[in-house]
Amino acid sequence: MTGIWRGTLLALVGALISASAFAAQAYKLRVDGLACPFCAYGVEKQLKAVQGVEKVDVDLKTGNVTVTVVEGAVFDEATAKKAVTDAGFTLRGFEKIPGPETGK
Amino acid sequence: MRTAGRAAKSHAAPLAGLLLAAALPVWGAPITFNTALPVQKGGWVLREQFVLNKNADDPGPANRDMRVSGLVSVLGYGMTRDFALFGVLPYLDRKLDLNAAGQRVKRSDEGIGDLTLIGRYTAYTADGRGRTVRIAPFLGVKAPTGRDNARDSRGALPNEVQPGSGSWDFLGGVVATYQTLDYQVDAQLAYKANREANGFRFGNVGGLDVSLQYRLWPQELGGGLPAFLYGVLEANLVRAEKNRSGGIKDPDSGGTALFLSPGLQYVTRKWILEAGVQIPVAQDLNGTALKNDYVFTAGFRINF
Repeated sequence: MTGIWRGTLLALVGALISASAFAAQAYKLRVDGLACPFCAYGVEKQLKAVQGVEKVDVDLKTGNVTVTVVEGAVFDEATAKKAVTDAGFTLRGFEKIPGPETGK
Repeated sequence: MRTAGRAAKSHAAPLAGLLLAAALPVWGAPITFNTALPVQKGGWVLREQFVLNKNADDPGPANRDMRVSGLVSVLGYGMTRDFALFGVLPYLDRKLDLNAAGQRVKRSDEGIGDLTLIGRYTAYTADGRGRTVRIAPFLGVKAPTGRDNARDSRGALPNEVQPGSGSWDFLGGVVATYQTLDYQVDAQLAYKANREANGFRFGNVGGLDVSLQYRLWPQELGGGLPAFLYGVLEANLVRAEKNRSGGIKDPDSGGTALFLSPGLQYVTRKWILEAGVQIPVAQDLNGTALKNDYVFTAGFRINF
């Protein structure tokens, strides 16, 4: 009996993780003015404060910031621009990264 | 009480030379002065610096030896994208040894010093990929929060040994920053107008500072957000006017000094470790003003 419950629980968790991965949507932001790691913290913090943002990855060399948001969350260019501006930097590009499964 | 205070001040007046290094507070982001880089809106930056200022090159018979050590705390807050407020509060231990009346005399005090509040406005920004240019004027006021009436068994301590000056002082200037992924250059022009308290006024101080921070590691920049190790070289030109006691200029105070300051910074996204030493390379001081030997600075900064 315990084994059945454990198996069911694992299956549920797996399904949730899988659904979450498929539901997440990523955006690529081009942020100008970023030139040292200490400055990047402000961009990370402002973007993470946006509702629905799960993850922020900064690539200092290219100035690209990848933002992953949960499905259904509103994350548009105006929202990204406000966050980047509040961090003290300039948003130069904003694009949605197509999801491999959904093609969105 | 007043007489004792004046007597103490009269033999301490030549110590003004040490102000050349200490009068402009270290509130910002190169090691010895500020930067024009942003503090995010609603974000905080805390900087703690241990400072050791040694002054023992006395041209006079008093053979004065002045040592100032302590912590300087700087808290910055981003009010808006362009406007940041900084508060600077030192806790300093000031020690003076000198020959007087045929014996070696030690005088000292320690405590919280004067609080300086500075507002900095980023007036110009030009951002590109992996680089930025910023120009930011700033204004500040120093409040007399430190004790300025400390005494020992010999009477009132000299002004330079007191934790606070007792006066409301004002400062202003402009700082500019050019930062790329490989290096950063900061330059600052600042002026501090000191006012009178207890019949004494420290001379006004002007400073021109330049800092180069060059990325030593990683040599090749990869992806992500790696930590940087910067080699730092700074130059500080400081000009202090003569002090005034009872309205009369002290001929043995003030002057001009040039410091070179090598240092290192280890920079991550959340914190910075840094250390540097200001070495006087030229000192043109008035009369027997006490010369500076070095100023050692080490500390950290945290983003939150």
